[in-house]
Amino acid sequence: MKDFLKGLFKHNETYLALIIIVFAGVLTLINPQFMSFRNIFSLLKNSSGTAILAVGFLLVILTGNIDVSFPAIAISAQYIATTTLIALDSNSLALAFAIAIGIGLLYGSINGFFVTKFKLPTLIVTLGTFNMFHGFLLEFVGTRSINIGQLPDAIKDFGDINLFTVAGSGSNPVGFSIFVGILIVVLLLTFFILRFTLLGRGIYAIGGDAEAARRAGFNVNRIQFFIYMYVGVLAGIMGMLHIALINYGNPNYIVDSELLRVIASVVLGGALITGGKGSLTGTMLGVLLIVTLEKNLVMIGLSSYWQEFFVGLIIVVGVTMTHVQAKLQSTQKVTIVRSH
Amino acid sequence: MTEKNANNLMLFIIFLALTVIMTVMIPERFLAINNFRSMMRQFPEYGLLALGIMLAMITGGIDLSIVGITSLTGVVAAQVLIRHAESSLPSELFVAVAVLAALGVAVLCGLLNGILITIANVPALIATLGTNSVFLGLAIVFTEGHGIRGFPPEVLLIGNGQALGVPVPFLIFLGIALFLGLVLNRTRLGFNMVMLGSSPVVSQFSAINNTLVLIKTHIMIALLAGTSSIIILSRVNSMRPGYGSGYLLLAILIAILGGTNPNGGFGTVLGVGLGIGSLQILTSGLNFMGFTPFFRNFIYGLLLLLVMVINYYRRQYSGRILVPKAGAGTESGQQ
Repeated sequence: MKDFLKGLFKHNETYLALIIIVFAGVLTLINPQFMSFRNIFSLLKNSSGTAILAVGFLLVILTGNIDVSFPAIAISAQYIATTTLIALDSNSLALAFAIAIGIGLLYGSINGFFVTKFKLPTLIVTLGTFNMFHGFLLEFVGTRSINIGQLPDAIKDFGDINLFTVAGSGSNPVGFSIFVGILIVVLLLTFFILRFTLLGRGIYAIGGDAEAARRAGFNVNRIQFFIYMYVGVLAGIMGMLHIALINYGNPNYIVDSELLRVIASVVLGGALITGGKGSLTGTMLGVLLIVTLEKNLVMIGLSSYWQEFFVGLIIVVGVTMTHVQAKLQSTQKVTIVRSH
Repeated sequence: MTEKNANNLMLFIIFLALTVIMTVMIPERFLAINNFRSMMRQFPEYGLLALGIMLAMITGGIDLSIVGITSLTGVVAAQVLIRHAESSLPSELFVAVAVLAALGVAVLCGLLNGILITIANVPALIATLGTNSVFLGLAIVFTEGHGIRGFPPEVLLIGNGQALGVPVPFLIFLGIALFLGLVLNRTRLGFNMVMLGSSPVVSQFSAINNTLVLIKTHIMIALLAGTSSIIILSRVNSMRPGYGSGYLLLAILIAILGGTNPNGGFGTVLGVGLGIGSLQILTSGLNFMGFTPFFRNFIYGLLLLLVMVINYYRRQYSGRILVPKAGAGTESGQQ
């Protein structure tokens, strides 16, 4: 038991969980409604889109690369899928998801192509594709928002599906949204890939040292290509969840809000931006903390103007802690090597 | 012919070709002297940012906080300037204090970036991404998201004035560009920056203080962003946090177009200058032809990728990069 506790406190995740518990305690003291099933379930539903994006971003970070284009992929998938459905006068949720995921795959493979074929810096590639994807959407697809009246019923109904309900009834049930179910499926799949497949070991290996991974026999290009496609697919799914959540589509949504939120979550979850280190648990806790903080900023007495500042501060403090830790650990390693 | 000259020669040819194309296609409007004047007034604000990105890339890093620094320093300067109405002191004094305040804040911003990157060992990419939000967030908190206006007329001369028929922003840009060219080519700091960008390990073992070089670099970048903010607030006659959020892409595009190696170790002021010229002419052309800003962004993104792909092939043929490393993870380039 003692060893178990000792081990527990070696992990970032434990501290993050403690911070969340304390923060939730404070919020409950201010407003007892915070700890209600209704609030918790709605918080989970609202944050599942961000969480799905964060899973994809974590994989990119694990390989030591970056992708800043995923918000543009998400909004493109959402907007193109929905406008196609409206244009065809179709009410098929499956078609919407098929289009969204198809666009995710296509855009992800464009990223993957430039990154693997030309070995270009991933930040600059994805900054370029970000502007291409979003510029293409606004120029050639449309700039008008989609309101609730135009939205196909299938998408609206999808947003209201609950896997089970715990209380309430009729038009106002307290239920466990299908969004969280989708997130859980994504998490299980990603966990399986990372933990039990050669691909997953390759992802960690590339992040540790790409050259070493290549010499160990990993096909670095194929793994990177896969990751960018995976991020694209997840972004496509997130795009559909987002429009079903708020019942409104705007081609400028997601791009201006999700990038920093996702990066902050992943970084806060203890992932090392240089690759090789990071966990799904940490990332999920990071999302939970960021979303809770953002939603309750006003409740703890700060105006919404502080939001940008706080997200930035979280990123800065988060990465500083992770990297100072890594620096200290690596210095220790060097001294060990010398002393032998 | 050296890499440096070959690169700038190619850029010069592109620049000339674009100029000729524009002149042929829209002669009466493109060749007008007013068109050139307005271009000279427009580009310095993001040209300075592009020079900043170039400096960051030379050391093998990046600075994503330039727009945030521009917002914060601009808001600070604006806060000083609007006090002139309730005071009997001469307006020139307020202008001078505002400029100094903006540059002072810029130094602090650059110092913070530098410390995070060197002492805390955070990769430049993520450190400056975070500080960008911190700086922008502070600017938003100070102004509650509103624009600030009501400046003394003297300050407007910086952005809108002319000396001998040449717009003042262009003169400021020219002066700074020449100065940076000297720093890069003729001083120890410039040499050390290139060394550090080529190989941090080698520079560390050549008795170069990597920490100090990087901190100085990021202070220079922040000063460039601070100067840009002064030009912006003077030209627009107001300051709004988040103004110029599109300049980051533009600055990176220009730096890459100018032949700067994003992996570090190479970049020239002349190249960036030619890059600015080509892009400004292209942008004007797209504007004249009536394309929307969305399409322009699409073209910028496409151009960024194309130029990088062309540079990739050029470097391969000239044998500068013999064996590309497996894995494109170059963001971790800095120590």
